[in-house]
Amino acid sequence: MRHHRIWDPFLRVFHWALVAGFVCTALLTAPEGRLHQDLGYVVAALIALRLAWGVFGPRSAKFSVFVPDFAAVMAHLSDIATRRKRVYLGHSPLGALMILNLLASIALIALSGFLMTTSAYAGAKWVESLHETLVVWATGSIAVHVGAVLWESLRTGVNLSRAMITGVKDIPRDANIVP
Amino acid sequence: MTPRIANTPATLIIVIAVQSLCAAFYLADLLFDGVMEGWAQVIQGDFFFEAAATLALIAAVVVETRFLMDLLRRKAYLERQVSIAAGAFHDIILDHFSLWGLTPAEQDVAQFTIKGMSITEIAALRGSAEGTVKSHLNAIYRKADVSGRGGLLSLLIEDLMGRPLLAQAPAEQT
Ligand code: HEM
Repeated sequence: MRHHRIWDPFLRVFHWALVAGFVCTALLTAPEGRLHQDLGYVVAALIALRLAWGVFGPRSAKFSVFVPDFAAVMAHLSDIATRRKRVYLGHSPLGALMILNLLASIALIALSGFLMTTSAYAGAKWVESLHETLVVWATGSIAVHVGAVLWESLRTGVNLSRAMITGVKDIPRDANIVP
Repeated sequence: MTPRIANTPATLIIVIAVQSLCAAFYLADLLFDGVMEGWAQVIQGDFFFEAAATLALIAAVVVETRFLMDLLRRKAYLERQVSIAAGAFHDIILDHFSLWGLTPAEQDVAQFTIKGMSITEIAALRGSAEGTVKSHLNAIYRKADVSGRGGLLSLLIEDLMGRPLLAQAPAEQT
C-alpha cells in the first residue's frame, strides 16, 4: 500500500457538513418551518465556501485541476471497459462530473428556496415546483454518487470513503496512479 | 476512418444519458403516484402499459451500455492501428474471444499476450499484480483449449490465413 495525503481538512469537514446539512434540511425538517430556512442558509454558505476553496484552495480542491475534459472522461470509461486499474489521486473524471452536478443542483435548491421567502416570488408556483424537482434530482444524484463511490472502491481497491474521512488514500502497490 | 471511431462512443453516451434520464423520470413519476394516491389506485389500466414501456427503456439502456463497453474495448486496442488489416485481424480475435466466453479482463490480457508482451509488462500496463495476470492467462488457455501462447497464436493465425482463401476459392473456379 502506498499512502497519499490528498484531502485537506476543510474539504473533509465541508463534505460531511454538507451531507448532514442536506439530509437534515431535505428529509428531517418541515418545509414551512424556520429551521428549514436557517439550515438552507447554512448549506448555501457551505457551497459558497467550497466554490471559493475551489479557486483559492490547495491543488486537490481546485476546479481548474479536477474538472475533466472529454478525453479524460473517455479514458476513465475505457479503464472500466477493459478492467484496467488506474487510480486517480484526486477526483476521478466521472466523479468530478457528479461533484459539479451535486454542487450546482444543491446551490440551485438553496437559491429557489430563498426566492420563495422574497415577496416578489412568494406565491410563484414555478419556483416551488423547481425547488421540489431539484430536491428529487439531488436525492437521486446522491444515491448514484454513493453507489459509484462504493463501486469504484471495489473496482480499484482504494477505500474512497475512508479517504474522505482521514484525508489519506491507501493505494495498492500494483495500481497505476494518475496524479 | 479515424474520426468515425472517435465520435461513435460520444453519440452513444449522449443517447444513454438521455434515455437514463427519461427512465428515471418515469420511475420517479410512478413511485410518486403510488405513494401519493395509493398503489391500488395506480396499478390498473394504463399502469401496465407505462410499466412495460419503462422496463423496455431500462432494458435499452442496459444493452446500449454493454455495446458502449464493447466499443470502448475495441477502441482501446485499435488506438494506434487504424489500418484495415489491423481491424480485420481484430475482428477475428474478437470472434474467438466471444466464442470462448472470455471476460473483459481476460480479453484485455489476451490482447496484450498476442502482441507479445510479457506477464510483467501486462501487469504494469493493467495496474494489477502479476499473479492476477497469470491466473487470467491460465483461464484464457483453458477456455481456448491450448497449452500456451504459441497455441493461441497459431489458432488465430490459422483462421486469419484461412478466411480470405475460402472466400476466393469459388471465384477462381469460374
Ligand atoms: C447528502 C449526501 C452527499 C452529498 C451532497 C455529497 C457531496 C459530495 C461532494 C460535493 C463531493 C466533492 C468533494 C469536494 O471536492 O468538495 C463529494 C465527494 C465524495 N463523497 Fe460525497 N456526498 C454525499 C454523501 C456521501 C456519502 C454517504 C459518502 C460515503 C459513502 C460519500 C463519499 C464521498 C467520497 C468518497 C468523495 C470523494 C470522491 C473521490 O475520491 O473523488 N458521499 N461528495
